[in-house]
Amino acid sequence: MINDFFNIFLPQGCLAVFILIQLVLGMFLSPRFYKYSRFISLAGLSFSIILLSTVQIEPQYFGFKNSIMSDSYTLLFQFIIMLCGFFVVLLSKKIINTFRQNAYTYNALLLTAIFGGLNIVSANDFLTLFISIELMSFPTYFLISSAKGYHSKEAAFKYLITSAVSTSVFLLGVSYLYGITSSFNFTEIYEILSEGEPTLIYTMSGVLIILGLISKLSVFPFANWVIDVYKGTETSVLAFLSTIPKLAMFGIVCRLLVFPLSLSLELPFIITIISIITAIWANTYAIREKNVKVILACSASANASYVLLVASLVSVYNLSTVIFYLICYVIMNISVFSFLNITEYDNIGFFVSNFKGLFHKNHALTLAYAISVIGLAGFPITSGFVAKIYLFSAIVNSGLVFIPFLLALLILMVIALFYYLKLIIPLFDKAGKDTVVLKSLYSQKLVLFVTTAITLLIGIYPEKIIELCRFVAYNV
Amino acid sequence: MSHYYLILEGFDKMDILISIPFLIFLPMLASFLIMSPLFTRNEIAIRRFSKGIFGFHLLYTILMLLLFDLSNPYTAKLSFWGIDWIQSLGVQFSFKIDGISMILVLLTSFIFFLSSIASKTHIRKNCKFYYSMLLLLMSAVLGIFTANDMFVFFMFWELELIPAYFLIGGDFSLDINPNAKKSAMKFVLFTFLGSMIMLLGILLLHYYNYITSQALTATFGDIFTERIPFGIQIAIAVCFIIGFGVKLPVIPLHTWLPDAHTDAPTPISMILAGIMLKTGAYGMFRFNYQIMNDVFRYIAPALAVLALINIIYTAFIAYSQTDIKRIVAYSSISNMGLILLGLCAFNQIGLSASVFHMLAHGLVTAGLFMICGIVYLRCKTRDINSLGGIASNMPRFFGLSTLIILASIGVPIFAPFISEILTIISAMFSDLGIVLKGTAILSLPLLIISSCYMLKFLHCGFMGDKQDAFAKINDITTHEFIVLTSIMVLLLIFGIFPQVVLGLIG
Repeated sequence: MINDFFNIFLPQGCLAVFILIQLVLGMFLSPRFYKYSRFISLAGLSFSIILLSTVQIEPQYFGFKNSIMSDSYTLLFQFIIMLCGFFVVLLSKKIINTFRQNAYTYNALLLTAIFGGLNIVSANDFLTLFISIELMSFPTYFLISSAKGYHSKEAAFKYLITSAVSTSVFLLGVSYLYGITSSFNFTEIYEILSEGEPTLIYTMSGVLIILGLISKLSVFPFANWVIDVYKGTETSVLAFLSTIPKLAMFGIVCRLLVFPLSLSLELPFIITIISIITAIWANTYAIREKNVKVILACSASANASYVLLVASLVSVYNLSTVIFYLICYVIMNISVFSFLNITEYDNIGFFVSNFKGLFHKNHALTLAYAISVIGLAGFPITSGFVAKIYLFSAIVNSGLVFIPFLLALLILMVIALFYYLKLIIPLFDKAGKDTVVLKSLYSQKLVLFVTTAITLLIGIYPEKIIELCRFVAYNV
Repeated sequence: MSHYYLILEGFDKMDILISIPFLIFLPMLASFLIMSPLFTRNEIAIRRFSKGIFGFHLLYTILMLLLFDLSNPYTAKLSFWGIDWIQSLGVQFSFKIDGISMILVLLTSFIFFLSSIASKTHIRKNCKFYYSMLLLLMSAVLGIFTANDMFVFFMFWELELIPAYFLIGGDFSLDINPNAKKSAMKFVLFTFLGSMIMLLGILLLHYYNYITSQALTATFGDIFTERIPFGIQIAIAVCFIIGFGVKLPVIPLHTWLPDAHTDAPTPISMILAGIMLKTGAYGMFRFNYQIMNDVFRYIAPALAVLALINIIYTAFIAYSQTDIKRIVAYSSISNMGLILLGLCAFNQIGLSASVFHMLAHGLVTAGLFMICGIVYLRCKTRDINSLGGIASNMPRFFGLSTLIILASIGVPIFAPFISEILTIISAMFSDLGIVLKGTAILSLPLLIISSCYMLKFLHCGFMGDKQDAFAKINDITTHEFIVLTSIMVLLLIFGIFPQVVLGLIG
């Protein structure tokens, strides 16, 4: 037990210690020291990132009675999750200023959600997975509702209900699987099932489990929450919501598809159809939308569906493209939300028309934002271009059957381009009298420029990251 | 040309300065420089700086042309450059210049230089943004013409869209055009749809080339289609035809073109018609004609029929237009049909004629759009019915316009004459059957219809009674004179000595 702790649990343990520190300090410290809460979070995340180097990954390490595992795959996902967490904490300065007495609680919740995300990725057991999902979801409700006003409460409540429903669906699937195999452990389930033919109940349980998990990815049956939740949520929380749960969920969904749920032949087709429906729904919904947050919600949903489509066609190559796409997407998303975070506190509003002429007064900020949005649309010199080509080539490699789906996706990309362009075109319009010079904090600028620089760097020289992704995918 | 090599021997160490990346990325670097917040905001300084860059680029391209000799080992080295980019997809970031690329690069450099001169009178606002986008567009187009790898080609193909959108839809002139944004969006969406379908073709070709020849590569020279199943080959070729057909444009996919060309500012119309359409033809040549040449044999007759429809149908539409810019826009669709017909002939004359017509038509159409722009700037209208009677006020302009319009009709001693005749001859002598011969004969009326609409343009636009509204307009300025004269002189040179260009292609 102690061995396991030191071998694979140190990063999470370190984060847990910092969560406790935040809570204790929140109880005893006067609210005027609210500023230090952010630094404690940053320190916690930095220590955890450093401690990732202590994790045993060769070849695969199973700890705590096989309920948690670690390999290079989990390590990479944990690293990206914590990196995103780092950016989110940097962005959260403005929201913390609005409720100073609760700053420590806010940071503790944020760290808890990240902690949950780390555990989801490394779970090797449906019970651990369930607890970790709840550990990630519960703080998220409070984070969403932390902004002022009615809309954030509504958003939190909607998220709560969808999460609850989807979790129950997930549990139903798990119970079926437990009924067949009388085990919760991924490895054991796989061993028991691979002896016989896959049955209908196995496929059903697989579908239910995947449906339950992908509700966090805002994919078809549970997709509608994403619009209201994005509308009501504060942008730094959105930077969290659109990256960390997504990474964690994709991490575990890909592993489940590779491991215990890979025996069913029907499952990939069902997921493919789900993701195509999602892509069509999300892209067409965004055409008439004028709210930036809603457009980004649709974009999140659409991107998740592309990745899910490739993830369902399991192969080493596809897994590496999924990881690469996720890395690129997450970085660009944080970049976009950091710009929106700057504009939100300048009371600019979230309608596309409100951004009119901003370019003429804020060259660097708007250019960085424009580059990220163009990257989301998949244009060259950004990482989005390489990710797009890599993703589509994975679909081509999966066989001729999927070419019609690819054609559908390609045509949807044109629609996507339309709404992505809608996000940036007003920036370059003629500046009006009320066009403002944006006031930005150093931390916001840092996040925006660093993420944009990463986007450009990966776009210009993607080879190293691709190699890393291939190595990781090969080891799963 | 031996004395050039003597000069070069001293420059052995300066390979980077005389190389393709410098040729392509110089405009992009200048674009980033202008865009950067530290650069001056003085509009005149920005204009002169970018004009200097364009001029330098033109001289540089001429230097490349003089050094262009594939038989000499030193200069042959200059025509290729490449590094590994995405190894896991076998993508090499490589560029290669052959004769056809060289001609188109020269055309690009020249037209961009002219359009930067023309920008002085037409672009009055947001110079910083305008010139940085113009330079970026130039880099993208040069990249398309020189790329030696499918994915690099695709990258530049997409890179072109963003600057093109802002150049067409941006507000740069003094008069506000409410339709410009819509047209720009139409252009971008159409081209993006085409490029997405082209991407499907590229991915399929890449994948099937990999599984049949076990070589993970996307370089043009290393792709072999013989062993790919024939059905797949047809699918790939159709993907490419749709992708490039949007840009070319081939008839059902052409609706974006008249709008975009009409609503863009004059210098951008010159670039759109003069160069951007040629990227479609060039892509058709590289992908369909060269790589997928087994299938092209079977598709060519069908394409030739499409080209015929292009030629005749749009010529009639052009005749019925009343907006002078739209007349020119439709005439360029018609001429692009001629270029496509030359490719479909699938023989050496056809290819030469096609490339020669790209050059000739690029020059002519840039000149015609310049004429439209000059007329619009002075008369504030493009309606052919309300124009007229300006010839006596603008004698210099009238003379130059007449010559350029005559060139566009295909009058001898001008370059388009040679390419049009060569195209029709090549289709006549094509060994792809009766369809090609039929299209060659049926496309002959083009020469008559084109002279109808162009002479209508000349007659109604310039001649007739003097009108009071246009009594005070001035003749063309030196800038405009330089643009029109240089176009005319080049048309004459290429018309009298076509061997200068045809030698490069062969």
